[in-house]
Order: sequence, then C-alpha cells, then structure tokens
Amino acid sequence: MVVRKKVLKVCRECHRVVEGEACVICGTSNLSDDWAGYVVIIDPEHSEIAKKMNITMAGRYALKVR
Amino acid sequence: MMDMVESANRIYAIKTTAKQERTVADNIEKVIREQKDIHVMAVMVPEELKGYVLVESPDSIARIEQLVELIPHARAVVQGSTALSEVEHFLVPKPVVSGITEGTIVEIIAGPFKGEKAVVKRIDSGKEEITVELYESMVPIPITVRGDSVRVVERSEDAS
Ligand SMILES: [Zn+2]
Repeated sequence: MVVRKKVLKVCRECHRVVEGEACVICGTSNLSDDWAGYVVIIDPEHSEIAKKMNITMAGRYALKVR
Repeated sequence: MMDMVESANRIYAIKTTAKQERTVADNIEKVIREQKDIHVMAVMVPEELKGYVLVESPDSIARIEQLVELIPHARAVVQGSTALSEVEHFLVPKPVVSGITEGTIVEIIAGPFKGEKAVVKRIDSGKEEITVELYESMVPIPITVRGDSVRVVERSEDAS
C-alpha cells in the first residue's frame, strides 16, 4: 500500500482548514481540497493579517480556495 | 498613498527548507504558544513565495532570529523587515459570500432585482456567486447574483 500524505481540506466559506467532515465555525460540509497559500493565525486580536482577512478565530486557513 | 493606520507589527521573512513552508508555519505556532518572550501574531505562506514564510510580529529581528533557532526546517531570517502593506497583495479577503448560508434572507442591492428580498438557495464561493429565490415571487425562480450585490437581512438559524 502506498503511504500517501493526507490531503487537507478547507472550508469554502471561511477558508479554515478542516480536520473532520465539517467546518467547526460554519457547520458546513462544503469543503474543498483545491486550495493554495496558507496562513496560521495565532493571535487574531493583534494580527493585522487576521483583520485584513476578516478572521476572528485563531487557526489555520487557506489564502485561496477554488 | 493609502489612507490606513499601520500597526506596530512588522513582517519578517524566514527562509525554510524547500517544501517545508507549511510545516515551519505550524511549528512556529507550536513554539510561540509554549513560551512568552517571542511574539508572533500570524504566519503566512503565500504559494508564490517558495522557500519562505512570512511572520507578523511586533518584536525586533533579534527575537525572530531566536525563534528560527527553535524551529526545525527554518533556516534564517532575511535581514530587515517590511510593513504589512508590502505583502498584503498575498492576502485574498474571504469571499464576499461568506457569512451567507443556505436559508439566509437577503436583500438584492444591485441589478434588475434591486430592492427585492430573496432566500439563498445555493452558494458558490469559488465564483463568489449565490443562487437565490425571490421571496415574494409567486413562482420561485432561481436567479444567480454576485455575492456582493446582496445584503443580509436575516440569518437562517445561526444562534451560535
Ligand atoms: Zn468554515
């Protein structure tokens, strides 16, 4: 069996990297594995990047989702 | 010049081992949460920038150099720092349709159906379009509009 790196999926709505079958923020299972760019928000309150991206929760997000 | 308030945070570029950009970003988060001396607000990995991650921090470059020592696959800090405005073109704001879900009641604010209320039936974030059905129409005809041509009137049942 070929060991394959697990493909991470992201939420199409909020761009959050989703571990399970649905996004914990949106509750949606509208996920995409076609995404690019990556951002880890550690402190959303003090992050200009988070502000620019309208992100209010710490976590991992995709920059682009197709 | 853009009229915007610059925060005290600077952007530093850290050189990484090839193809380890995401791993480095994840490890930076882990290390930052485990200590108190180094402050990082976010780590960005634009796909256009192979072999680098961008770190948003209010700290001096000396701190970021300390950080690099703690992170496997992080190799060096590029000397100097930049303002976020120099790299914000890498950031794509969340699609305008975000926050809108199936069942959301919206008002159409542009185009031939301007002023009409509608119920969201389907969302295509990739294309930033949504399909809605006009609220007061006798025959529900689905129409597709751009996500930025509607305004949320009432959310479905997201009390969360
Ligand atoms: Zn989501």
